[in-house]
Amino acid sequence: MSDITAYAAPRSLDEAVSLLQAGDVTILAGGTDLTPQTKSGKLTFRPTLMNIRRVPELSGLTESGGVMRIGALTTISSLLASPLIHERFNGLWQACDHFASDQIRNAATIGGNICNASPAGDTLTPLLTLDARVVLASKPNGSIVRRTTPLGEFLTGPGRTARQPAELLEAIEIPMPPEGFFSAFFKFGTRPALDISVISIAIGAVRDGRKLTRVRIAFGAVAPTAIRAAATEAALEGRPIDAAAIDAAVAAAVNETKPVSDVRASSWYRRELVGNMLRRMLDHVANS
Amino acid sequence: MGPLQKTRADAAARSSDTLIGTRIPKKDAPQKASGRTRYIDDINVPGQLYGKILRSGQVHAKIRSIDVSAARALPGVHAVITAADVPWQRPIGVAKDHLPLKPDRVRSPRDEVAAVAADSEDIAEAALKLIRVDYEPLPPVTDARAALKPDAPLLHGDDLVWTGPDGRAEVVHAASRDNVAMTFKYAQGDIARAEADSAAVVEDVFQLHYVTHCCMGVSGVIAEFDASDNLLLYSNTQVPFLHKREFAEMLGIDPGRVRIIQPPIGGGFGSKLDIYPFEPIAIFLARATGRPVKLIFTREEEFLASPTRQPVLLKLRSGCSADGALTFRAVETLHDNGAYTSWGATTPFVMMQTISSLYRVPSCDYQTLAVYTNNPYSGSFRGYGNLQATFAVEAHMDKLAEAIGMDPLEFRLKNAQDPGETTPQGMNFKSCGFKECLRIAAERSDYQQKRRAYRQQWNDSSILKRGVGMASMLHVGGGAKIYPSDGCGTILKMDDFAHLTLITGASEIGQGSETVLAMLVCEELGLPLSSVSVVNSDTDITPWDVGVHASRTTFIAGNSAIGAARKAKTKILTAAAGKLDMEIAALDLQGGYVIARATGERLLELSRLIRSLHFSDKAELVMTTYYYEPPSQHQDKEFKGDVSAAYAWGTQVVEIEVDTQTGIVRLLKVTAAHDVGRVLNRLGIEGQVEGGVVMGQGYALTENLIVENGVIRNPNFRDYKLVTAPEIPEMDISFIESVDGEGPQGAKGVGEAPAICVAAAVGNAIYNATGVRMYGLPFTPENVYRALHGQAKPVTWDIGA
Repeated sequence: MSDITAYAAPRSLDEAVSLLQAGDVTILAGGTDLTPQTKSGKLTFRPTLMNIRRVPELSGLTESGGVMRIGALTTISSLLASPLIHERFNGLWQACDHFASDQIRNAATIGGNICNASPAGDTLTPLLTLDARVVLASKPNGSIVRRTTPLGEFLTGPGRTARQPAELLEAIEIPMPPEGFFSAFFKFGTRPALDISVISIAIGAVRDGRKLTRVRIAFGAVAPTAIRAAATEAALEGRPIDAAAIDAAVAAAVNETKPVSDVRASSWYRRELVGNMLRRMLDHVANS
Repeated sequence: MGPLQKTRADAAARSSDTLIGTRIPKKDAPQKASGRTRYIDDINVPGQLYGKILRSGQVHAKIRSIDVSAARALPGVHAVITAADVPWQRPIGVAKDHLPLKPDRVRSPRDEVAAVAADSEDIAEAALKLIRVDYEPLPPVTDARAALKPDAPLLHGDDLVWTGPDGRAEVVHAASRDNVAMTFKYAQGDIARAEADSAAVVEDVFQLHYVTHCCMGVSGVIAEFDASDNLLLYSNTQVPFLHKREFAEMLGIDPGRVRIIQPPIGGGFGSKLDIYPFEPIAIFLARATGRPVKLIFTREEEFLASPTRQPVLLKLRSGCSADGALTFRAVETLHDNGAYTSWGATTPFVMMQTISSLYRVPSCDYQTLAVYTNNPYSGSFRGYGNLQATFAVEAHMDKLAEAIGMDPLEFRLKNAQDPGETTPQGMNFKSCGFKECLRIAAERSDYQQKRRAYRQQWNDSSILKRGVGMASMLHVGGGAKIYPSDGCGTILKMDDFAHLTLITGASEIGQGSETVLAMLVCEELGLPLSSVSVVNSDTDITPWDVGVHASRTTFIAGNSAIGAARKAKTKILTAAAGKLDMEIAALDLQGGYVIARATGERLLELSRLIRSLHFSDKAELVMTTYYYEPPSQHQDKEFKGDVSAAYAWGTQVVEIEVDTQTGIVRLLKVTAAHDVGRVLNRLGIEGQVEGGVVMGQGYALTENLIVENGVIRNPNFRDYKLVTAPEIPEMDISFIESVDGEGPQGAKGVGEAPAICVAAAVGNAIYNATGVRMYGLPFTPENVYRALHGQAKPVTWDIGA
């Protein structure tokens, strides 16, 4: 039996954050995580269920002033359909291409994927390599207040974020990457999609000849949150991508990941995969 | 196309008006594809309540007390029952060691402790949460090897006593002094001498894991008593006539008062061959409330409380002579029986057939111990132990061939059975296309050339390595005489418009029996498929059948349907001959007419003839019955006997690619050759083979029900990985038509066959690709990666003497 006593479907951001300010709200966007989690008892509905899908401020994919803004309600399918995402943020696009099934992609939103904060969340690793920031809106004293925080700081643990109960994730902002930027995504699994990552890897860097700069590496499902791998990045930063650099990066990656053992994989195997698959991705970069 | 296939195809093409061998869409396909089929979940009976079961969640515990008072007090709750409310409940299952509601002790987390009937599912669920059970944990036994230790806790160490309403007590399951639930021993020849005469001997231990059926339709039942206390069940069972009797015994009523209606079943695969506690519990609730009770599993419950495929630890020792003749096989298996005995414990019946008779082996020794533990119990599952036995046997066929330096195909051909052979176990292979299966599968997959080529890459630096592997199988294809009768009855009714109603005991569980039976009848009576309806789902109407198992329905129910059709034909032609003043032999039926056999000339319209018989002074209905009992034998106490009327054969060659950096094994292609006797519905049989291959693929590569310390860790489709569409390999399927003399139109059973070889063939292919032999399933990426990097946990046989 559900404990929901009120259902709200606000039609503006103002209305939505006002409702949040009143308290005790469960936010519903795509519902693809919320539904199974409440059904299995992992999550309990709060008295007010707020469907944010009619809030216009939460949608849209726009580029202006060197920043790409992705509205929190943008579905995985719309990201896949966007030529801009495909061309400029190919790692993110690849992650969407490995994301669940068509049915789920049609409903699931990027904001939901972020707020669900699964260590294995597919879009999180590519977003980390893009220096993505999240924009949070709230209405503490009668007017809308916004704060922006880097995604890496927003994700605080499995299923946990720095979002305050009265805050709504409004959008994701990504600085437009410089010339020569490329990104890629790898997700381990036997299926082309419809699978939870045993590990995932996203890389992003600016390439100048054989030299890589502004190197970003992120790993999924090897820590309580999706993480940036500082030592791995340092091993590659500013160096030509050759066998020695790749060896150093792989050694750093294996060293700085401390995955758990669970029903999907052992810790040992996850680290082997991190090393082997990072090497495969970097070999691909070196040879292309 | 092989030469043999070609002749048979020509033969089939000769007569263009035959239905046999053509591609007929399943009769139920339009309903299912358009979402109109009403499965049990779609059926709602006026006045029904919803049943829910409280499971223990304890691996092994004593029940100190159960308090249901708060649950009973919840508005909308009509009954809350525990074992105390049904003191007359009788044990169920193969060994009758299993009470539906557990009175004082639970032996697994799935154990049923209490049940609720309420106005809605939500209320029933809320009521479950209000039931307080006080448990005292008992030491668990979650490893079959540990269960055999002398100091292991006994799981069924006390008599199970049933006390009748008259106070008479009866021991229904006697206390056992150890945890052994069942044993099997079979022997032929002289093992010691055969081994002494062997040029090569290999011995290995194999470990086969838990998987479960994952029927898309979850388990469920609706139970209802009428005003005269007759029981009606809407049930997904595969064996309605056997269960009628069991439910009647359980309730102490006449079996004639139990009626079972089977709505369309959303997948069976053997899972519905036994009675499970939820069925009697729904009946108890219906009796307690006087209302119909519908009890449907959630998906998670389906994982937690359904039977599994039998996990097996298997030690195999085999030998052959220098020229490649098998000399002996010695097998010991340890079956984890789980907490109670269901059909999984009896899989040795099938396993020993593969051990003794797939190839000619003069000496064999087979032993099984099935051992109680606190783990899930296993049921029957498509292949029934044969996937497990074939996995070990076919690994050894490759290993022995390698040991004596012989090509593995030649080695198999040298030892393969021929038509006419009677094996030491008593199986007589009247039709046998085994060698053709081997040759055609090898030829069409380029097996020999590829196997030699792929071996060359063992030590090179390639990351992706390809391999081919071969495995073959023998399975019953003409029923299996397990029960007093292996028969099936048919009633065939022709109405006054010459429309047929085929009333058969055989259940449809998605295998396509409706369509095949309709084809066989139409073929006999020269009628189009559109002129037959099939009734197969109500025990008050349909004649007896033993049930859907052992790949028997096409063979047994098919012969029964043909028998009824031939009787109808005789009746019709006799009447026609009288009217036309012609000899019966000069007449035939075709296209809805009585025709002259010699010229094909249409003499009488069938529907007019039938009406003239019905509406006359001496009214005659064309309504016939037939009961077919196959000419097979029960096995004797030594497990010898010709248990099936025909035997099915098959060979599959798989081609794989191993990613040595991840352990991912991709199944690229399956080349299958199956001796099916004769193809009846080509579309249907292709679908059945494809589906079976995919089920075998899941067993080999992706599916793994993870049971840790008695607890199922992945009761969901997120972490229990069925094969998805993009993973399905290319398939090349050949049918060997050995035209069995006893089979309906020459056909043999094929339902289980295609699932049996895949895991064994993939194991051989991994070896061919990498030089690493894996002895345990499943070949999931981590398991393969560990094996490739020397990190696999060795499979050992440490159960003592």
